[in-house]
Amino acid sequence: MEFSKSQGQASSLWFGGSTSEPVGTFSVIHQVLVGIILSIDLNVITAGLTMKLLRHQINGHIGGRQTDLLLCLSLQIELKDIIIIIIMSKEARPSWDSPMQFVLACVSYAVGLGNVWRFPYLCQMHGGGGFLIPYLLMLVLEGIPLFCMELAIGQKMRLGSIGAWTAISPYLGGLGIASVVTSMYLCLYYNVINAWSFWYLFHSFQSVLPWAECPVNANRTGYLEECEVASPTQYFFYRETLNISSSIDENGGIHMGQALCLLLAWIIVYLFIVRGVKSTGMVVYFTATFPYVVLIIYLIRGVTLHGAWNGVKYMFTPKLEQLANPQTWINAATQIFFSLGLGFGSLIAFASYNHHNNNFERQAVAVSLINSGTSVFASIVTFAIYGFKATFNYENCLERMRLLMLNTFDLSEETISVENVTEWIHHLNVSYPERFAAIASKVEDCSLEAELDTAVEGTGLAFIVYSEAIKNMPLSQFWSVLYFVMLLLLGMGSMLGNVTAIITPLGDIKLLSRTFSNETINGLVCLLCLLLGFGFTSRSGNYWFTIFNEYAATLSLLFIVFIEVVSVCYVYGLRRFEKDIEDMLGHRPNWYWKVMWAAVSPLLLFGLFIFYIINYIQGGTPTYQAWDKHLGKSVVQEYPAYGQAFIALLLVSSLSCVPLVALYVACRKKRRGTPLRKHAINTVTTSTV
Amino acid sequence: MLAGVLLLIFLSPLVAQDPCKDSKDGFKVRLSIKTALGNDAYEWNESEMFLFRSTVAYAMRKQTNQDTYNIENILVCNDTQRVSFVFVVTSPDNQAQLIPKAQVEQAVRQNKRRINSAFLLSDMTLEFVGIPPTLSAPITYKTQPWLIVFGVVIGGVAVGIVALLMSTASKKRRAKGKAAGLSEEDEGIVKENGTALSGLGGNHGVYNQAFSNDDRFTQL
Repeated sequence: MEFSKSQGQASSLWFGGSTSEPVGTFSVIHQVLVGIILSIDLNVITAGLTMKLLRHQINGHIGGRQTDLLLCLSLQIELKDIIIIIIMSKEARPSWDSPMQFVLACVSYAVGLGNVWRFPYLCQMHGGGGFLIPYLLMLVLEGIPLFCMELAIGQKMRLGSIGAWTAISPYLGGLGIASVVTSMYLCLYYNVINAWSFWYLFHSFQSVLPWAECPVNANRTGYLEECEVASPTQYFFYRETLNISSSIDENGGIHMGQALCLLLAWIIVYLFIVRGVKSTGMVVYFTATFPYVVLIIYLIRGVTLHGAWNGVKYMFTPKLEQLANPQTWINAATQIFFSLGLGFGSLIAFASYNHHNNNFERQAVAVSLINSGTSVFASIVTFAIYGFKATFNYENCLERMRLLMLNTFDLSEETISVENVTEWIHHLNVSYPERFAAIASKVEDCSLEAELDTAVEGTGLAFIVYSEAIKNMPLSQFWSVLYFVMLLLLGMGSMLGNVTAIITPLGDIKLLSRTFSNETINGLVCLLCLLLGFGFTSRSGNYWFTIFNEYAATLSLLFIVFIEVVSVCYVYGLRRFEKDIEDMLGHRPNWYWKVMWAAVSPLLLFGLFIFYIINYIQGGTPTYQAWDKHLGKSVVQEYPAYGQAFIALLLVSSLSCVPLVALYVACRKKRRGTPLRKHAINTVTTSTV
Repeated sequence: MLAGVLLLIFLSPLVAQDPCKDSKDGFKVRLSIKTALGNDAYEWNESEMFLFRSTVAYAMRKQTNQDTYNIENILVCNDTQRVSFVFVVTSPDNQAQLIPKAQVEQAVRQNKRRINSAFLLSDMTLEFVGIPPTLSAPITYKTQPWLIVFGVVIGGVAVGIVALLMSTASKKRRAKGKAAGLSEEDEGIVKENGTALSGLGGNHGVYNQAFSNDDRFTQL
């Protein structure tokens, strides 16, 4: 960016073209994007001046490829100061081949793993079908308006998050930087999930799925002890996939298999984004649509499984008393917020490649509804699978009890059947109390409700519960491959958005894009994330992963989006925003949008932010689940001091960007001796001939 | 005295110890035929018991390499409805002496598969209480199958990246060539007026002979 500052009364507008003498030092190949941000004294504004930059039909006067252009504005009134920022680009900003690509990219980004593993859990915890009421309400109150706002900003400014927020107000550059920092943290740990999906996918190509049976011990008399106390699927995840240590303090070596899978994941991400929008646009046709194919296949398979109906019925019977619990509403709001991927800068980046008149309003509504619809659809599939697994375990439990009774009391096999086990247990307890007391420790209480009640979310659901259900299906290798391919596509689709959120603002920085080509910048970003991501493949890596998952992108996002909404409505001005939208769409946003942007969404976000802070303070020392290999389950442990310091560092590093940059800009302006209050008028236009 | 001797003679077999019931060298066996075979389940009767005793005798023969073991050496008792019973093995030389538990266990473990298949059962459904089943050895691969799939995928991806980067490089080279030459049919959006200024960018002009200083042809 070039700054040229002229002081004085008036500058003349001249086109450096009449003599065809190159005036500036820039050379343009295809198109010139000229943006002028004027910093004008308040007096000037009250004079009622608005300036708009004319399209440079001057190209016709000068002609040729070397069109050097310099524009200044001629003003009739006194200007205290003019700061002219000329943004030039070597080539036209790349754009999506069609609006459909943009919509599919947004769908692919928003529909991610959270739809599959977080929403069903929330549904189960908060009253089944009744949870849909707060969920849909929050979608209307905060989801759709915020989504639309981010698309509008991106499409208007045609820059990544840093450039866009700097254009809105120079003090707000920190907002863009905070978005990039948060995206960076997300990229670091999110691809590790893709690495796990690859690991499971590659291990599905065996005659017997490795998580179906426990490995035998050395003298082949029984199974490994850790696998006996846990289950084969848990053993495979914690021991063979992660080789997890028993606490965050114990470090170990890097798991080579994980490291290879992470390398593969990053290479594939690089392949998808290497050409920017051109390559991403091709890929999203597949990553956005294929998961739905798999979900439909799984739905058909799921509802035909034995016992699936138990799960679906359990999920959809609404327990409306949960609506009185405030936690339900808070969880609905946060789920909508995080599920749509707001605040990372990905939506701004995607929208910045749009044509100026793209109808983003309709697309925003469509993508938000698709995202929520996918959540509900995925939870039907999940609960069918839950029902199958719970019924399977329940029937196994009954069978075990039947055998126990038969063996203890030496009854013939036909006397007790699976249906009347419970009655027989009762009868035998009454008739032979002493013999029954001897085996009382082994008697389990088999209950289908209890099996269905085990609510799991997150990686535990995706990699343990689902794989346990899959191994019991007929033709399990096929279902396993299909499932992990779906997880991969969902994860990769979201990664595309996350990485685009980083490389778009970096590509907008002239210094970088002049020294390195786009491909090199993208490659360097991927390489850096890969090297840092190797830390998550160590033995205690999963605990660091949990830190990032819970703290890196939660509070900071709420803060970022809250500042976004407030600054668009009150710093930039809602009226100006309306005019920009009218310029792009041809009509002004109606009262729904205005009310949500100005009042409802900021209030909701502020409330959530305060709630999170109170939760952190009240929660005491943060804890995590550590895997105990002797007990075969996770135990709660507190984070050590350096762990808590790291959490604080994560939060502070992204939250502090906003005030720090604002302070820096204010200091720099003061040092230049300029008057204090400035208004920024953004007159960025593109010139498309 | 005669009565005492007669009493002794008649009582001795009654108070004689039952080698099967009280012995600590016996093993309890449990069969779950209905669970294993369902509708094809056979009835457990004396003939099946005969088969069982002969398979255990066979196992003892194989383990000790002595052909002297016979059906009579396998004693069975405590037969229940569950189809479970206790058996002991007596030595072929001395009917009163029992084969120690460890040896019987070893014999059974070595031949469990044959015993199972004689009854169409498995390790789960034909249990010898106290003898843990020998689990089948895990399949070991020379190369792990996941590495093979990984290699294929990463090879394909690497080829894709190299192809992409090469096509980018060749596009750049072609674009440079175009900029050096003066092709009028460019895909740029900028339309030209078709003036002579299109020659500004290039360094090859059109050679106009009228203005040339070359007087090769007009040598006077």
